[in-house]
Amino acid sequence: MRLELGEIHISDIKLGDCSKVENGTLYVNVEELRALLLEDEDLASVDFEVVHPGESVRIIPVKDVIEPRVKVEGSGGVFPGMISKVTTVGSGKTHVLKGCAVVTTGKVVGFQEGIIDMTGPGAEYTPFSKLNNLVMICEPKEGIKQHQHEHAIRMAGLKAAAYLGALGKDVTPDETKVYETSGVMSGKEKYPDLPRVGYVLMLQSQGLLHDTYVYGVDMKKSMPTILNPTETMDGAILSGNCVSACDKNTTYHHLNNPVIHDLLEQHGKTLNFVGVIITNENVYLADKERSSDWSTKLAQFLELDGALVSQEGFGNPDTDLIMNCKKLEAAGIKTVIITDEYAGRDGASQSLADADPAADAVVTGGNANMVIHLPKMDKVIGHPEAANIIAGGFDGALEADGSITAELQVITGATNEMGFNKLSAR
Amino acid sequence: MSLRVVHYINQFFAQIGGEEKADYAPEYREGAVGPGLALNAAFKGEAEVVGTVICGDSYFNENLDAAKATVLKMISDAKPDVVVCGPAFNAGRYGVACGTVAAAVKDELNLPVVTGMYEENPGADMFKNKVYIIATKNSAAGMRDAAPKMASLAIKLAKGEKIGASAEEGYMPNGLRVNFFEAERGSTRAVKMLLNKLAGKPYTTEFPMPSFDRVAPGAAITDLAHTTIALVTSGGIVPKGNPDHIESSSASKFGRYDISSFEDLTAADHETAHGGYDPVYANEDADRVLPVDVLRKMEKEGKIGGIYPYFFTTVGNGTAVASAKKYGEAIGKELRDAGIKAAILTST
Amino acid sequence: MLLVTNNEKVREKFGSLCTLQYVEGGHVDVLIHVRDLVHQGHKLLTHPLAGSVKPNETPFRSVALDDASGALDLESLELIEAALNVCRQFPPRFHRGEDAPADMREDFAEIDFRLIDGAIAPQLQ
Repeated sequence: MRLELGEIHISDIKLGDCSKVENGTLYVNVEELRALLLEDEDLASVDFEVVHPGESVRIIPVKDVIEPRVKVEGSGGVFPGMISKVTTVGSGKTHVLKGCAVVTTGKVVGFQEGIIDMTGPGAEYTPFSKLNNLVMICEPKEGIKQHQHEHAIRMAGLKAAAYLGALGKDVTPDETKVYETSGVMSGKEKYPDLPRVGYVLMLQSQGLLHDTYVYGVDMKKSMPTILNPTETMDGAILSGNCVSACDKNTTYHHLNNPVIHDLLEQHGKTLNFVGVIITNENVYLADKERSSDWSTKLAQFLELDGALVSQEGFGNPDTDLIMNCKKLEAAGIKTVIITDEYAGRDGASQSLADADPAADAVVTGGNANMVIHLPKMDKVIGHPEAANIIAGGFDGALEADGSITAELQVITGATNEMGFNKLSAR
Repeated sequence: MSLRVVHYINQFFAQIGGEEKADYAPEYREGAVGPGLALNAAFKGEAEVVGTVICGDSYFNENLDAAKATVLKMISDAKPDVVVCGPAFNAGRYGVACGTVAAAVKDELNLPVVTGMYEENPGADMFKNKVYIIATKNSAAGMRDAAPKMASLAIKLAKGEKIGASAEEGYMPNGLRVNFFEAERGSTRAVKMLLNKLAGKPYTTEFPMPSFDRVAPGAAITDLAHTTIALVTSGGIVPKGNPDHIESSSASKFGRYDISSFEDLTAADHETAHGGYDPVYANEDADRVLPVDVLRKMEKEGKIGGIYPYFFTTVGNGTAVASAKKYGEAIGKELRDAGIKAAILTST
Repeated sequence: MLLVTNNEKVREKFGSLCTLQYVEGGHVDVLIHVRDLVHQGHKLLTHPLAGSVKPNETPFRSVALDDASGALDLESLELIEAALNVCRQFPPRFHRGEDAPADMREDFAEIDFRLIDGAIAPQLQ
């Protein structure tokens, strides 16, 4: 497959009465967008705020972050199975509004979590502080259930990102990147001497607020399967995950999966990137056994020499991670895993809930329990009181002066387990 | 004013002599001696070695309490801002001495301290979780490498600055995970690690799995009625009075005691030396930790063949894994030589 | 199937569908009860740390085991001990459901219910 990504660099977002992309500025007609989003009967209101890097703004609680994209050539449309039809994506040409994102906020459940600070010490830990963000504060109608609420906010974010992405359809990209992958046979012929490498991408799939969708399919109901790496760039994988702010994979992460980008970068040079095996993280133990068996079986089927495994979340996904690693290694496939740690505030506790000597090559996104002090921001978008009840916050976390003392795990994307960040620990 | 550093070295690095001078008693000299000159160069004027404490390795290890007290007093009298010990490279007794002095400086003098040694130096395992140990090469040729790292960490500690992760500062991982920013993002590091792993080249995991020293279980005993069983414990059960003075923590030895004449252990004849749990119940009735009474009963009933006449005991509390391994090997050897096929290990 | 829970919502739906043991207590009490069952020979069917709601956050926990009580299953034992160890590392913020504020309590209960429902409902059909 061959996908051209045309990047349109966005340096500012302005709210106005006409939606367009002009000279690197994204103009948004909020009334038009609001009307589109309020077609959803479960939403009572949507409000918009624009935030820029370096501003003294805190967004809390963050649900998802989504990069606007649009399909320009080739089959299918972005976010297949959710916004577009289920047609296979990943080839042709896609335009990306680079440097900006849609950030959805709104209290889904009582302990909602996730902070983005646009400046200060917290900003260093989240990649989203470097973007111009259109923040959407979505409030549901009274009396709707948690799962309807999650669905409404998820869809609002995706609709908005598709709406904004479409504004870039006829804009000439500032930069075009070409991603080309090989088939199983042709790759072998083209790169007979390069090690065959695959990527085992673990997706959170445990239930309400813990779900991931692939072409619209709830991943907990799917067997592990194979994706072409470029499919993810068109939104084949979408996040419905609201928990574990620091180590959940937002839709932005899936669109810009760093493992896929780095493996494609090396494809044909130092390795032969054969494909992506997506697998789930289910609650039922027999599912864990079956899925790890299957991801290994698919890896063997692709005759991989090596595999990278990335995780999402902490706790029982550690069991899936270790099962995947153990079985891949036992099948003779050299494996590196990416995870993060919950080593306690002092760093002295056991980092993972599961472990095995086969996991002898680990990359870590850092200790999520590290305590961080986030100074007061001039402006707070969302529900500041959520700081007291988000995961990793603790009683008294929100100080009278508006500053927050909490664990790193409150920050969206801080210890990402796809290796999106430079943060690590020893 | 530059920071005051006191440096601890052995007789060899003080150029007094080798093994034949290892019984050299502690001595204080003004200023830098031997490797202290390399440290001074690395301090670049921010700190200075104001005095050096020299002690022979044998002397230190054989007169531990007295030597430690003397060395500590010499160090404390020189009023340092920070103390540096070694580096000891791969010299085992020197490494243990450096670790011992460093730990005492930290705990008893409440002063910042840095030492350095090779990762396989026995002192490393013993002290890396207690004090900062810079990982050095295995010979004195590594001084040029070690001095700047030790100097930089010493200055940071003396100034009370934040200490980075082990990978940044060069100290041995000490069981405390510290966050820091790498030069490359995680995915790029993972791809590089995988390429090295695939090519059979060395790579370093960022999170070593907790060490699993799993032993495959032996074959099941099918004929228990004719099998003699040995008793081994890390619960510290000893004959009353603890005749061999097994330490209540960080045990330096194990004991081997005759139980052939005992039907039942009582408060009159056995007790525990263990300092890591409430000893009341073990002291009341040591069978609770070392089940001699029930085994005697089973012996009478013909369920087991007998009890090995000696039991082996140590204190697991804080005892170094390396020491525990050594005791286990010695105990295992005796049992194997005696043809014993089964042992019960109890812990607390 | 044997279901251990301290979540009223789970009891309501599954009480009549499988053997249910209701634990009066918190998250850790449920895990301790499950550990005892594992020692009695029941095998775990669901992961005792289900969900990425940190184990020290949610006061509710539901765990499914099999009915049979056979020989001790070592994998189940390792999983439940590791789960208890995580709880020792990160002591629970709310010991019992009633310690959590009302709206959070309802959300925690709903999520625990959904997680166990998603895992076992297909097995009970």
